[in-house]
Amino acid sequence: MLGFERQVVDHLVTTPDPDRRAAVHRWVAGSLADMPEHLRVGVYAESVALAAVARLLRAGRRPSDDDVARAVQILDVSPIALLRQYVRLFRSLVLFAEQELAGQKPGA
Amino acid sequence: MSWFGTRDRAPVTRLDTEVLVIGSGAGGATTAALLAEAGRRVTVVEEGPWVDPDAVEPFSLDEMALKYRHHGSSAALGAPPVAYAEGRCVGGSTEINSGLWHRLPGDLAEEWRHAFRIDEFTTPLLDAYAERVEEWQSVSQMPAAPPPSSALLERGATKLGWRSVEFPRVFRYDPSGRGTKQTMARTLIPRAIAAGATVVADCRVQRLVRDGDRVVGARCQRRVDGIDETIEIHADHVFVCGGAVQTPALLQRSGIRRNIGRGLKLHPTIKIAARFPHPIDHGDVSPYRITEFSPNLTIGGSASRRGHVALALADATTEYADALADWEHVTVYYAAIRSDAGGRVLALPGVRAPLVTYSLTDADMSRLARGLLHLGELLLAAGATELYPSVEGAVIARRADDLVSWWESVDRRRTNLMTVHLTSSVGMGEARERTGTDSFGRVWDVRNLRVNDASLLPDAPGVNPQAAVMTIAARNAEQFLSEQ
Repeated sequence: MLGFERQVVDHLVTTPDPDRRAAVHRWVAGSLADMPEHLRVGVYAESVALAAVARLLRAGRRPSDDDVARAVQILDVSPIALLRQYVRLFRSLVLFAEQELAGQKPGA
Repeated sequence: MSWFGTRDRAPVTRLDTEVLVIGSGAGGATTAALLAEAGRRVTVVEEGPWVDPDAVEPFSLDEMALKYRHHGSSAALGAPPVAYAEGRCVGGSTEINSGLWHRLPGDLAEEWRHAFRIDEFTTPLLDAYAERVEEWQSVSQMPAAPPPSSALLERGATKLGWRSVEFPRVFRYDPSGRGTKQTMARTLIPRAIAAGATVVADCRVQRLVRDGDRVVGARCQRRVDGIDETIEIHADHVFVCGGAVQTPALLQRSGIRRNIGRGLKLHPTIKIAARFPHPIDHGDVSPYRITEFSPNLTIGGSASRRGHVALALADATTEYADALADWEHVTVYYAAIRSDAGGRVLALPGVRAPLVTYSLTDADMSRLARGLLHLGELLLAAGATELYPSVEGAVIARRADDLVSWWESVDRRRTNLMTVHLTSSVGMGEARERTGTDSFGRVWDVRNLRVNDASLLPDAPGVNPQAAVMTIAARNAEQFLSEQ
């Protein structure tokens, strides 16, 4: 997972539990690694482009958590379907993992 | 003959078999069991792992990681794209589906028989095979009253005067009423092994090896303890049974392209997360289906674990927190259409996953909108208080008047679709200009190569295709035996 992708995931995860957060990150990383190559290349390209724009706006510095939150908010309502789908992909992976993990019995 | 041009330094293991079956799902397992029981020396190769059917919960994270291809994250590209899921384990997609059983409708079989000139494809003949397969698979109705999520469908249908049916499933029930899905890993794969077949799991077929108009084997890659091993399997006969995406991709990688990968069909599916004033069960998929608009539109219940509910809510809106907190009162239903559109499967050089595309027609989009409205109408009649359609920004419906706006909302930019039924990417029949195989799955111009899976169906059947796949696979396997 790229740095920007990790930041997006970190923003979308809602649980404060560090173990569960780590488990969600592992799930998303595993899913991205296992994606069909042509889809992964597309997501990768979007991540690189979005990270570049975010850095440009921060004069070359790494985007902060607030920057990523703002970016997600903007992408969510973008008229460009590809950008909305970028957030949707990450939100789907995070939501599914987080909710399923929340439903697991302790120790499961 | 291009026998495996061995540049690899790793040792190559060589296996010999009479019949090589590639894929262990509904088509592959049926083929392997029938041929092994007839005394043939059969080797089954499966790309995915062996997973104990009881090892993981259905539709859970663990199941998706272990049994699904790409963790369930695949999509047919198009406007809109269609997300799809395939199994990748011993037993194939029968390990991950809901186990609903629907024989190929007789009128559809007739239509296909004429349109694609399929020999020996009459309804009585197919029904005779279907009866045998149903016995093997313990196809049965639920022994007890349906769970609340199913009863709601029935209640809504009754209020509206629509036809609804409880479909049988491939489930075996114990005296307490507890059902166990009869997947290929529980039924036909063990039967094939008991009859002498060998199953090689975690083994990906890279390509078939040809010698003139024959296939002489397959070159495979297997990962054992983190080390890649090359396996050459020499065979007298080869059946490719990898499903509607993997089968055409393998044939194309092997230089067989005539009518291969075209004509892909799927059932585009649109969903609603429905909130009720009372808690609902989430453990099983409803066996009830609304058949009022069949076969072009089917309405039913979907997997509704906590994670699925969350996904369905988020498909509609980013303001889902309140409904998600109340997830035990929310469950997911779907409307699936038979579509006019077609898709393609294309193996890309140097890339493992094939490119899959699907272009919905305007008529398909209209059918999906109609399906969504009917589903909404049904769920409100069943007592739902809030409906979240899988359309970004669509109105959250609370009364019948709200549904009208969905007509405009269902468009190519905002509609989120998925499917689990993919078929027809090879096609069978004597209409050579449109099919990849003859009436019995024999690939044109390659004497000893057959296809025997969902890719043979000439069109999407409008229902879960497992029954049609197994019925046709049994028919084709017996045809093979009768020829030898």
